[in-house]
Amino acid sequence: MLAPVLAALVVLRLYPIALALKDSFEGPHGASLANYRFIFSSSQFLHSLLVTLIFNVIVNPFQLAVALGLAVLLTRRVPGRNLWRALIFAPVAMPMPVSAVIWNEIFAQNGAANGLLKLLGLPAQGFLTSQHQALGSIIILASWIGVGYWMIFLIAGLQDIPTALYDAAAMDGTSVWQRFRYVTLPMLRRPLAFVLVADTVANLVLFAPVQILTSGGPLNATNLLMYSIYQEAFTDSAVNLADAETIILVLVSLIIVTLEFRILRSGE
Amino acid sequence: MSADGSLVVGSRRKRSLVAVSLTVVAVLCAAYAIAPFVLILAGSLERNTTAILSSWDPLSIHAIIPKSLSGAGYSENVRGSFGTALRNSIVVAAATVVIGLVLAIFAAFALAVLKFRFRELVFGLVVVSFLIPFDAVSIPLSGTFREWGLSNSLIGLVIPGLGNGFAVFLLRQFFLGIPSELVDAARVDGMSNARMVWSVFIPLSKPAIISAGLVLFVGQWQEYLWPLLTVSDTSKEVAPVALGEFVTQFATDYRGMFAAAILTTAIPMVLVLLLQRYFGQTVIGTEGK
Repeated sequence: MLAPVLAALVVLRLYPIALALKDSFEGPHGASLANYRFIFSSSQFLHSLLVTLIFNVIVNPFQLAVALGLAVLLTRRVPGRNLWRALIFAPVAMPMPVSAVIWNEIFAQNGAANGLLKLLGLPAQGFLTSQHQALGSIIILASWIGVGYWMIFLIAGLQDIPTALYDAAAMDGTSVWQRFRYVTLPMLRRPLAFVLVADTVANLVLFAPVQILTSGGPLNATNLLMYSIYQEAFTDSAVNLADAETIILVLVSLIIVTLEFRILRSGE
Repeated sequence: MSADGSLVVGSRRKRSLVAVSLTVVAVLCAAYAIAPFVLILAGSLERNTTAILSSWDPLSIHAIIPKSLSGAGYSENVRGSFGTALRNSIVVAAATVVIGLVLAIFAAFALAVLKFRFRELVFGLVVVSFLIPFDAVSIPLSGTFREWGLSNSLIGLVIPGLGNGFAVFLLRQFFLGIPSELVDAARVDGMSNARMVWSVFIPLSKPAIISAGLVLFVGQWQEYLWPLLTVSDTSKEVAPVALGEFVTQFATDYRGMFAAAILTTAIPMVLVLLLQRYFGQTVIGTEGK
């Protein structure tokens, strides 16, 4: 009964990693660490690694916080909350290339974002075309997609918290903030851990918006690792270097996810 | 009850003020979430989309209501190569949901109910597989698929969607909550495992199965990098890739692009809206469950 899924997991996850690991040691001069030496001395790869880390350090906690805020808001007695939930959830139904295409128009020189800024009397911004704003613009785009999705999981977690706990806490004369801090957060630890980890796994390999909108630019400002590997393999035909970078990406994913589990466990 | 009536009125007023401001925040968030949909829906129906885009004025009513209606963007798309891509996407996603659910249900049953050596280890493997993003390994894997003759085929697109550790995880969590007395009773009745899955577990797990199916569907529908890597034949192209091409084309057909975007989004959107109440509800337990 398990065999098909195990076979799928082995073929689709473990085997390609093994393959990439094997090929990452290969080069014109036989098996060696040359590919790893090369990528770790390449400023472009190191920059791409840095951009990926910065992106993830910002985007994951940000999305978690906003999703939690929305989940708390929409489990309160707000009129029409099911409708608001459905609308906020809607962006995830949109395939990422579609979202990228739309946000490209929104961020365009004469797009809706600059239109709104003009309305507020603010100067037009470069967004995706500005070296300093491009990564931030990608974060806005990715969060617009992801936040509603993660919100749904946190709403489910919030609804599982027994109301008796809140009643007891209220009886003790606690403030709203104290109830959130000492009842909601501890009870929500597992859903929060799940969302943070799943969100990170998704954001570590963010690719479509970069490939469609910025091609990693301007000046490599949005050259996230997944795009960098894709470029290495297909534009530069440096397959073995791409394999070495793939191994680094898998390692980075495992390290970050393990750290996140640790951090969330440490409170227990 | 209260001797001081004014205090009650005061706190009631404060409470309704809180309720109003919370509602305002909720409405603003929802508006932010759907504003891009409104913009492209308007753009997709506009006869002269390029003219509108050259000066997008959010104050103008025509930012959200087309000046002159035209369904041409849709009809051209459905008849053209995008229509083929959309059909491919539907076939691939549907096959992924059906086959993926069967595989995941059996695996989850084995991991939740059957007792065998290394069960925890196998479950750990499933979880780890879920923590390694598929896209991260898709470039080395695409070479293998090419060698196996699976590139440029719909089967080659379906297969990666099947190894979904999340769907297995989700179903296993739900199956663990099904009382073991039911399993024992079924055993006494001489039911085989497959029979037990069919007539005990599946009927009891409708919400979890719908959630897992939605996870499989949305996961496959969103897939972009894998089809980009393995499909070069336009007759096997899927909708997200076809859409990405609208942007990279030299002269972008905005109306067609927006119509294609609406079409690609409408299908999962309808499914998600119909099935939303099952989603999430079964996904994770809280502390102590």
